[in-house]
Amino acid sequence: MKKKIYKIKRIGLVGFMGLMGLMGTGCSDFLEIEPLNEIILEKFWTEKADVEGIIAGCYSGLQSEAVVKRMMIWGEFRSENIGVGQNIDRDADLEKVLKENINAKNGYTKWDAFYSIINRCNTVLKYAPEVAASDPAYTQSELSAHIAEVTALRSLCYFYLIRTFRDVPYTTVAFTDDDMKMDIPASPFNAVLDSLINSLESVKAMAVRRYPTTDPLYQTGRITQDAIYAMLCEMYLWKKDYQNCIRYADMVIESKKEIAETNRASASDRRSGSASSTQTEERFNGYPLLSGSSTTNYFGEAYETLFTDDDYAKLYNQEIIFQLIFDDNPRGNSMIANGAVNTFYGNATSRVGLVAPSDYVLEDIAKSSGRNIFADRNKKVDARMYENCDADRKAINKFVTQMVTINATQSTNPTVSYGSAYTEGQNSSNWVIYRLTDIMLMKAEALVQTLHEGADISDVEYNKPIIDQAFTLVNAVNKRSVCETQLVDTLLRSDYGTKNQIEELVYQERQRELMFEGKRWFDLVRICQRTGSTQALVSAAMSKVTTGGALISNKLQKMDAIYWPYDYEELKVNLNLVQNPAFDSGENGSYEKNY
Amino acid sequence: MRILKSIILTLTLMATTALFAQEPITSVHGTVSDEMGPLMGATVCEIDGNGRIIESVITDLNGNFTMKVKNTKDRIRFSFVGLKTQTLPINKTTYKIMMASATMIKEVTIKSKRRVTGNGLPIPQREVSSATQTFSMKSVEGMSFTTVDEALQGQIAGLDIIGNSGDLGSGSTMRLRGASSLSTLTNANPLIVVDGNVREVNLSNFDLASANNEKFAELLNINPEDIADIRVLKDAAATAIYGSQGGNGVIELTTKRGTRGAPKLTYSLKLTGTYQPKGYDMLSGDDYTMLLKESYFNPQQNDVTSDINELNYDPTFSEYEQYNNNTDWRDAVTQWGLRQNHYVTISGGGEKASFRIGGGFDHETGTIIKQKLQRFSTRVALDYNVSERIRVSTNFALTYTKNDKNWQFNTNDWTSYGTEGLLSLALRKMPNMGIYEQDPLTGEDTSAYYTMLQNGSSAFDGDQKKYPNPVAVANLATVKQTTYDMSPELIIQYQLLGMDEDHWQLNWRGSVYMSIFNEYNNRFYPQELRTVSWNSGVNTAYDGSSKSVSFNTKQTLTLIPAFNNKDHSAMLLGRFELTSGSSTGQSEDKSGAPSGITATQGGGQITGLSSWYNQWRSMYYTVSAHYAYKGRYIADFTLRADGTTKFGPSNRWGYFPSASAKWIISDEPWMEKLHPTLSMLAIRPSWGRVGSQPNQDYLYTSKYGSADRYIDMSAMKPQNIRLANLKWQINTSYNLGVDLGFFDDRLNIVVEAYQSTITDMLMQNYRIPSNTGFSTVPYRNSGKMRNTGWEFHISTNRLIEKGKFVLDLNANFGNNRNEILEMDEYILSNLNSTFGYNNGETLRRVQIHNPLGAIYGFRYKGVYQYNYSTFNRMTDDERKAFLEAGKTAPVAMNQDGSLVVDGSGNPVRMVYNYTNDASGRNYRFNGGDAIYEDVNYDGQINALDIVYLGSSLPKLTGGFGLTINYGDWRLMTQFNYRFGNKIINMARLRAEAMTSNDNQSQAVNYRWRKEGDETTIPRAMYGSSSNYNTLVSDRFVEDGSYLRMGYVQLSYTLRKQYLQWIGLNRVSFYFSANNPFVLTKYTGVDPDISAGGYDPAVDWSQTPRSRSYTLGITVDF
Repeated sequence: MKKKIYKIKRIGLVGFMGLMGLMGTGCSDFLEIEPLNEIILEKFWTEKADVEGIIAGCYSGLQSEAVVKRMMIWGEFRSENIGVGQNIDRDADLEKVLKENINAKNGYTKWDAFYSIINRCNTVLKYAPEVAASDPAYTQSELSAHIAEVTALRSLCYFYLIRTFRDVPYTTVAFTDDDMKMDIPASPFNAVLDSLINSLESVKAMAVRRYPTTDPLYQTGRITQDAIYAMLCEMYLWKKDYQNCIRYADMVIESKKEIAETNRASASDRRSGSASSTQTEERFNGYPLLSGSSTTNYFGEAYETLFTDDDYAKLYNQEIIFQLIFDDNPRGNSMIANGAVNTFYGNATSRVGLVAPSDYVLEDIAKSSGRNIFADRNKKVDARMYENCDADRKAINKFVTQMVTINATQSTNPTVSYGSAYTEGQNSSNWVIYRLTDIMLMKAEALVQTLHEGADISDVEYNKPIIDQAFTLVNAVNKRSVCETQLVDTLLRSDYGTKNQIEELVYQERQRELMFEGKRWFDLVRICQRTGSTQALVSAAMSKVTTGGALISNKLQKMDAIYWPYDYEELKVNLNLVQNPAFDSGENGSYEKNY
Repeated sequence: MRILKSIILTLTLMATTALFAQEPITSVHGTVSDEMGPLMGATVCEIDGNGRIIESVITDLNGNFTMKVKNTKDRIRFSFVGLKTQTLPINKTTYKIMMASATMIKEVTIKSKRRVTGNGLPIPQREVSSATQTFSMKSVEGMSFTTVDEALQGQIAGLDIIGNSGDLGSGSTMRLRGASSLSTLTNANPLIVVDGNVREVNLSNFDLASANNEKFAELLNINPEDIADIRVLKDAAATAIYGSQGGNGVIELTTKRGTRGAPKLTYSLKLTGTYQPKGYDMLSGDDYTMLLKESYFNPQQNDVTSDINELNYDPTFSEYEQYNNNTDWRDAVTQWGLRQNHYVTISGGGEKASFRIGGGFDHETGTIIKQKLQRFSTRVALDYNVSERIRVSTNFALTYTKNDKNWQFNTNDWTSYGTEGLLSLALRKMPNMGIYEQDPLTGEDTSAYYTMLQNGSSAFDGDQKKYPNPVAVANLATVKQTTYDMSPELIIQYQLLGMDEDHWQLNWRGSVYMSIFNEYNNRFYPQELRTVSWNSGVNTAYDGSSKSVSFNTKQTLTLIPAFNNKDHSAMLLGRFELTSGSSTGQSEDKSGAPSGITATQGGGQITGLSSWYNQWRSMYYTVSAHYAYKGRYIADFTLRADGTTKFGPSNRWGYFPSASAKWIISDEPWMEKLHPTLSMLAIRPSWGRVGSQPNQDYLYTSKYGSADRYIDMSAMKPQNIRLANLKWQINTSYNLGVDLGFFDDRLNIVVEAYQSTITDMLMQNYRIPSNTGFSTVPYRNSGKMRNTGWEFHISTNRLIEKGKFVLDLNANFGNNRNEILEMDEYILSNLNSTFGYNNGETLRRVQIHNPLGAIYGFRYKGVYQYNYSTFNRMTDDERKAFLEAGKTAPVAMNQDGSLVVDGSGNPVRMVYNYTNDASGRNYRFNGGDAIYEDVNYDGQINALDIVYLGSSLPKLTGGFGLTINYGDWRLMTQFNYRFGNKIINMARLRAEAMTSNDNQSQAVNYRWRKEGDETTIPRAMYGSSSNYNTLVSDRFVEDGSYLRMGYVQLSYTLRKQYLQWIGLNRVSFYFSANNPFVLTKYTGVDPDISAGGYDPAVDWSQTPRSRSYTLGITVDF
């Protein structure tokens, strides 16, 4: 009996001790739980794969719908190229943008998707060196390449932001904790641009020049040295440093020529403009452009190769410098489709998207002669007219259909047949950020800016070779799209004797070549910055306006109005931001009397 | 009495004399009898020093017994149910025991202190120094309640209970002393504790979209029949024992347990009929078509726009028969609901063990067709006394609930699942359409449900064409929710030292409690109900399941010293508690299964898959002390330390102290002369601090999660900004209570006043500059808020007693005032909405030093009688006469009431939100439009004309009741009320808007139709921005005060003497009516509308609380 009680006591004691032990040791451990579906910082950043994962996260952030939509809207939708499409009421904010009625409450003033990528880049820059220190498999050159890659991506994001908002908060710090200083004031356009150029100059040498041929999509889908050169080329153009712009444009062109040489050596695909065809060589003035025509008198080849078909990755490598690669089977491997194009430009279900070519563009196409945009000198129709717009449907065609065939065999105007449009939600056309013609035309633009204004003999003499150069570049781009097998120049050098004439030509060529690629509004902003007047932009923007024109042209008179307002929520939480004075806050602030 | 005493004395004397007669005793024998003669079946046993039974026998037919004895140091005990147990030393072989009635003996006992049966110290009721209120479920026996909260409504001072909706199984919103938190995701309802166990069910991730209406009705899984007492803990001193869990107050439920006595079987049956109050009448089909024709004509002033086939009653139209009806859709979807509650309990016990087993089955059909709720619940309570010191108890409760609900609509889509109820759809549906497809020749109903054809008039594209047929939806779509709730518990109590008040007591109580909760949701929407294109899939099915398991253990040591000086008494409690739990869930969406298959397993294509996992752990230490001097100076102290996984290591532990005191003034000797008129006077000050924690885990770590792939690279991204210094939200509160008792406690009054200040408020989704890469952080400590209030509670104990007549009453009222003291500028400016100039838009304004829930809007002044052009054509004299006659036209007036004219002498026309640029509405008012007061006389109606229209918070809430007993009859009533709150009646706004094709209320028959009409209802205008007649204005802001009769019950109990011939102990009959009437000026269906978070109270026409009549019978076998 006594023994039994003793035993019970002993069990009790052991149990009690156990309990106390649990209390003592358990306290800190017991209350420490970790998520199952996420990795915490302390366990991340240990190996090369972690760095690569976040870098991939930067790209996938960049191709998110929110970002690509803004690339389109900020870069082009306020310009004369874009008009109202179908079901615009589904996106009231977009409707307001198209009506040039933008205020701080417009959803497209939100920039968080861009800063999210910037923060990912900064995070990589912060932790990747630590990984390199601890993971022996992560070499110094890999680290350098990664640093160059994320620096370039960060610069690209900032570049979009400053072209849109002019002055933006600029930070190279990774935000990790809530007690960091977050309400950063905006840095001026030029300061940001300079630091972007500086950071790119410092990393350009470390960037990957060519990705292994086993990953053909990387060459254009990820940042290469060429991409950095292209960015520098454009940034110098904005900075009005035309010599550097030309220098970097040449470096890109040279590099692309090299790639074209390699392609030519290995492939005999007609699209590459095979060596045998002197005709093609001549057509492109020696630039490694892809051929727009595969068969005699059938055009539209380049469209398919460039924009829609990843099977030609090796080929478009010679023309595309950097693009975001999309997948047409979003559920298949959890990579996303191009949702922005799907909604804005159209899909198989609703062939006309929320936006469409503006009436100005459509009217231009409808003309039988004397076109402004798609100049039809010598009655030779521009293939890009068909590639960009489906005039019958009044829809944007670029990126929407998988191929375009322009039949120019008849003596009358060519006929066009469109391939099938992408299924709703499954658009896989890549979103091009830099391609060779863009760079060529930037070089032309820079060349033009170096021209002398005067009409003296000495000036004319000085200008002539430069205009020759610029014209050759423009003409090469233009000639690819002329629907004429036997080459007849549609552009005549003799028409472009003065600076104004050639300048106008360069801008026009850019407009038709890069239409719907999110470039036009930025081009106009750049012109305004250069001239110090919004004249060019007003006349361009006004050409599509039907009602309320006076109001809009008045609004755009102000230099501030060519940029965008900061989002009103941003202003509430960042008191260091000063709103762009040209825009309404969207609050119930200003009132007028009815009498 | 004296005789009894002497008998006992004699017996004892006999026993002691016998001691000397016998030497070693090995067995005993004798007889046991009571007043009526020998007792058969009486228990005789030998017990040892610990009270453990060593040997036991039962007396025979003649009351004789013989028993072997193990040890003469033990004692012998005689017991019989209903008689007083006797314990004697073993000192003789023959016992002749005369047992006395236990009830008779009881009257001899001097004084027994009623002790609190809560989760803390067993403090005598009289010494409780914190603000608590108890409610005995016995007082509402026979009432038909589905959940306990219905019984509590109007009973507890300061507890504001609002039924969420009359849909079956929907919970209620409970606020004890106002809202203590502003975060919408933190649960502001009081903590529900059952027998000391907090219900730890965390299914927060599950089905958040429909969380509002289908909020997990926590109390649904507790059968009110199982509850003995409810105790509401109000102030911080009372809730301190629950630490951070009790921040919103605590409702402690105590379940019934077995009592000693012969097994007792009770069966009760309640039959209840329920129906729904109707609210305003809707238009008939004929009135509807007339209205729509006008509403299409008016904006364009053109017959072409109003030429719509469905409205034309044109017999040549192929669908003519389908659109010539007068369907009352509301009538078609409502019905009398029937509820049956069956409940059986068996309880009983002896000295070793007692038990109670209860089982109930409820079956309920709703007031909306096809709603059905079935519930099976069982609760088993067993207590076993291993010895006098050790007691083992086990509880097991299981509730199975199957809830067949109606499909809920997503108003943006109408085919996916959302929050809009069937009734709401029925109220929108066009009444000239038939429920069933009608034969085009005979006009008779066929068996097929009718839905508008896709090629119907395009005027109906946006609404009626998308609306499914409500009757068809009720019958064909299924929404099933099944839950299993199990909670087993094991408790051991061990009295380590003394066992009575004369010795030091040290008691250990250890418990292990598990809570298992499984939920299954199945939904199916068949293709027949598709009203729009089939792109999004047909035959959509959803299956979701989730389970939650939590484990809790509590170790409590209670020390009760025994002082020699009886003036002092004290108690001390130490407790350690540990909780851990996890929940998981998954769901699957499918579409395109072959017709007839309603589950996701039956093929089709998967359109959505998700799964989630949750985990929580916490640890608590509690120290609690109670001290009383002379029983009238009382002090209590509690300190609780809470450890949680929600905060980083530096803020992980929160320490929450509380202190309270009580001075029973009436017990002072110098107050004695006031007895018994003033039988109780005590004051109770208290102070305490509690904390609240966020409802998310892992906030203090940087997390990396996967992102979408890019090319062939798998991608990751940082998920959050870690919250380095997130702290507990602290609530510091003071309470002052006064207890008054009159006429020997026949009349009791409790008055409480309190103030609680919440600091470091956990504000959710705090906006940060997005140049950080993130736009919000999940939480930030910011702001300060205060709740101040008072409560008054009166109860009586046989207040008036005259013969068989006994009358009692109870009444309570309370008021809470809420004020924001400090708040981050960012948060304030983000909370306050900018007026978007839309019809029916409610404004939210949160201001420092103002309460939440304020309502802002325009002032409504009627309808313009005449058009602008009519007025403009008048001469000056005519205009003057016109205005003097009090006629109205849309022209601007000056402050002094004179007309404003422009440069050319034309009157300035009133406009709505006029601006020079294109951003304004620039609407020009005309005859038949609403007149809004131009507060600033600027000739236009805009945001500057918005004024404060009232508060959604009531000035007073409470209830009162009356109980009358007359012999075997009893009449009980309970009322509750809210007073002084305003509600935006959005349901009426929508029903009088006349801007869409939705059916409208009959009030619109009085609309403005032609110039000169004098009415308060504007004209019919189709289109959401064709007019601005339904801006939120005082036209739709109504007084929400009400007096509701909660219930009335009449019961009759048949006396035992009439029943013995059939062997029954008791039969009671009940008749009761729940919610039979509401006195209110509110024009909506039910003024029970609560304000949520920052926003004002808005009535969106939820299913109103039903009215019900119950017949009940309870039989004791």
